[in-house]
Amino acid sequence: MIGIIMFFVALVMLLLGFPVAFTFGGIALIFGVFAEGFDMFAFMPFRIQSYMENTVMMAVPLFVFMGIVLQKTRLAEQLLEAMGKLFGGVRGGLAISTILVGALLAASTGVVGASVVAMGLISLPVMLKYNYSKSLACGTICASGTLGQIIPPSIILIILGDVLGIPVGDLFQAALFPGMILIACYIVYILILTFLKPELAPAMPQDLDDETRAQQIRSALKAIIPPLALVLIVLGSIFTGIATPTESSALGGVGAIILALIYRQFSWKMLYDSGLETVKVTAMVFAILMGATAFSMAFSYTGGDYIVEEVLLNLPGEKWGFIILAMIAILILGFFIDFVEIAFIIVPILAPVAEALGINMVWFAILIAMNLQTSFLTPPFGFSLFYLKGVAPSSIKTTDIYKGVMPFILIQVLVLVSIMIFPELYGMD
Amino acid sequence: MLLITLERGITRFSNFLGVLSTVLFIVLLFNVFYDVLMRYAFNDVSIAMQELEWHLYAAIFLLGIPYGIQHGGHVRVDLIYENLSIRGKAWVDLFGCVFFLIPFTLLVGYYGVGFAHEAYALGETSGDPGGLPYRWIIKAVIPFAFFSMTISGLGMLIRCINVLRGVSEEGFSHPPIQH
Amino acid sequence: EKVYKLKMAETWASNFPIFGDAPRNMARIADEMSNGRLKITIDSANKHKAPLGVFDMVRSGQYDMGHSASYYWKGKVPNTLYFTTMPFGMITPEQYGWFYYGGGMELMQKVYQPFGLLSFPGGNTGNQMGGWFQKEINSLEDLQGLKMRIPGFAGEVLAKLGAKPTNIASGELYTALERRTIDALEWVGPSLDLRMGFHKIAPYYYTGWHEPATELQFLVNERTWKKLPDDLREILRTSMKLASYDMYIQSYHESAENWATMKTEYPNVQVKTFPKDVLLAMKKANQELLDEKAAEDPLAKEILDSQANYLKKVRVWTNISDRAYLDSVDSLAE
Ligand code: NA
Ligand code: NA
Repeated sequence: MIGIIMFFVALVMLLLGFPVAFTFGGIALIFGVFAEGFDMFAFMPFRIQSYMENTVMMAVPLFVFMGIVLQKTRLAEQLLEAMGKLFGGVRGGLAISTILVGALLAASTGVVGASVVAMGLISLPVMLKYNYSKSLACGTICASGTLGQIIPPSIILIILGDVLGIPVGDLFQAALFPGMILIACYIVYILILTFLKPELAPAMPQDLDDETRAQQIRSALKAIIPPLALVLIVLGSIFTGIATPTESSALGGVGAIILALIYRQFSWKMLYDSGLETVKVTAMVFAILMGATAFSMAFSYTGGDYIVEEVLLNLPGEKWGFIILAMIAILILGFFIDFVEIAFIIVPILAPVAEALGINMVWFAILIAMNLQTSFLTPPFGFSLFYLKGVAPSSIKTTDIYKGVMPFILIQVLVLVSIMIFPELYGMD
Repeated sequence: MLLITLERGITRFSNFLGVLSTVLFIVLLFNVFYDVLMRYAFNDVSIAMQELEWHLYAAIFLLGIPYGIQHGGHVRVDLIYENLSIRGKAWVDLFGCVFFLIPFTLLVGYYGVGFAHEAYALGETSGDPGGLPYRWIIKAVIPFAFFSMTISGLGMLIRCINVLRGVSEEGFSHPPIQH
Repeated sequence: EKVYKLKMAETWASNFPIFGDAPRNMARIADEMSNGRLKITIDSANKHKAPLGVFDMVRSGQYDMGHSASYYWKGKVPNTLYFTTMPFGMITPEQYGWFYYGGGMELMQKVYQPFGLLSFPGGNTGNQMGGWFQKEINSLEDLQGLKMRIPGFAGEVLAKLGAKPTNIASGELYTALERRTIDALEWVGPSLDLRMGFHKIAPYYYTGWHEPATELQFLVNERTWKKLPDDLREILRTSMKLASYDMYIQSYHESAENWATMKTEYPNVQVKTFPKDVLLAMKKANQELLDEKAAEDPLAKEILDSQANYLKKVRVWTNISDRAYLDSVDSLAE
């Protein structure tokens, strides 16, 4: 029972606004010491040691670095500008090119913040300039920036592979098609919306005086090369066996530095700044992890895991009852807490139950990943929403962003449900 | 005055850990690259170099956390916090430091000392062929990092006190973090 | 009557078959034999999150008992290496003979006693396979630069022959072998390899040399042990012994079953044995490493001598009993 009370106290305390990592740690300490005494915390170094030796998680700082270099060298920005020119003439064209660029960034980095921030800086002003609806612009950027979570390589898939004990390669493979379906659904949504309400996303006036169509295509192609090259390095090195998925992230990082050199964007300061920024983001992720591991320790050692397991195992409808409840639970928790916490606190509780019910774990992992991706977008605590708010002009209100992401959340839920009901369509059964 | 001096000292210390982490990160990047290159191009594998990867990676995230505390790099649920006055924020942080951050990091640091000392006393090494010796060094990073978090937390606490006393509002406006 | 509640940490994840069945069987048997006076709860790695921290956690008393493998503690206490299995060493019945009647248990206690721990055999996998290979090993040449995931002492032996032991996270092993990031890996044997799927991606399955009798381990904190009344100690000892033997039988059975399944679904998997000169070189390298260890530490020498002497004696019997029987039966088939 203590675990359950602790859980709700933590949710309330998080609202205060003290850093999430230490709120979890502190709550774990208070409840843990109350129920089990100080000695339980002698486990902490062992738990931390397990993270230290977990080389799969090493991909987190390495992918973050690749994304930050891509952003700092303005290579991502050039890509967006070129694509905008290419598709700008079509109604909703800028939104569609934002989605495509988001997908490309997703396939090369998988760092949500890097994509959202980059596109928030470049794509948002352009869309606003051409009278796109504020909420449509914000929603598109948040949603396409978040694609990095489901399109491999992706940090959430790496973390889930670790938590669920599934080879990361299998997860990357399984996630590819659902990710592409999601992109297609976004584009179809934009096309339908602009057909029904053209005023939301007007076509960009074309000034063909200074540039011919051929020149536009040429410059777009040129701008596509750098991110594409990174995709090839990362995915190619895994596919050819040059590197493990974890190591491929370092190749991506070195690749980004080489691109910066080629495009004359490299400086030692850029390297240092990118490294420092990487350290900050990495520290943020792992601090949550340290807090979350203390929290889940206190939760399980005070018997919380048995209660949750008991409840989940005795749901009506067995497999489907469990799956539906698990998905709803993750979706709702995703409104309040972050994917890292969910992956490390909730998923380990669900995993043995799923296993006991004979559920295909790869399928289960993809469902969770798709669901967690949604949590990036759901107010009030969606990471993507924070990132965009951080870089958007002050004319953009929080409510614009909230309103803008709603349709995309709906699309994600629909895709999630389709994977649940028709796993065979996605190559999983 | 003493508090301001102390706060500056703590800031320098936390910043140093950030720089150290950054340097270790760049070393890690090339460490992994080197290992891949040697294995693929020269068919050579060094377990020591492979183990160095996780030693570096662990040190990076552990030492980065106190730096993140210093620079407001840790995620908050800022639905309410965002709308508080600076004094209100200072009260939240004061409360959080005293009841959450400082006790938690102190306790983990305390148990980390025994953990690292054990490895030292046993002369623990890697169990794999050609692995790295002196396991206690990397294990000692746990207590060092957690006590550093306590120190950075003290810095945060002093900043709050300075705000509440009306001495200085330093440290309450961080640029938005980008992840 | 007083109920004794013991907490046990296992190295394995909650869903790990066979290895995880042994401690559960043990706890069930102990509970029933003691009429509910001895209750053992098991925390898997999913809960304590420190699969290789079992030694320290039992030592410090955070857990009363542990279930793991002795060779995992080699980096902390080098002499623990010898109580799991040794390359070119005894097979399972021979090693059980050494443990229970040939002085093995006494030597094991001598190693663990200074740390306030008692160690007991914890279940045997039987002969483990030499591993999955992407290329055939026809000569010592083929071992040169061979990138293989093979941890611990056996890795040292291969490294001496020019192979390159490589660390790969277990979650990435499949991809690494499939894409030939590594050339080979060793896991356990058919009983557990099937769930890793290596048979789908590697053509050669080599027979064993390096882990002929992998024995897992029960650890008991000495203070806990002393607290138990005599009858419960005996019940615990018996439950551990029974569960260990049961795991050996279960592994044997599962290996046979899984091998049959694998062979039907993937008929092209080729079982190979290393050529004689390769095995000879391995054996020589193994002996050299053992001689080094014996020279460094008198207790290591005592253990190694005890094992070598026992093996010399017991193998004669194995040869004139099991081997002779199998040869006779085989000769009839021809
Ligand atoms: Na991605
Ligand atoms: Na959310």
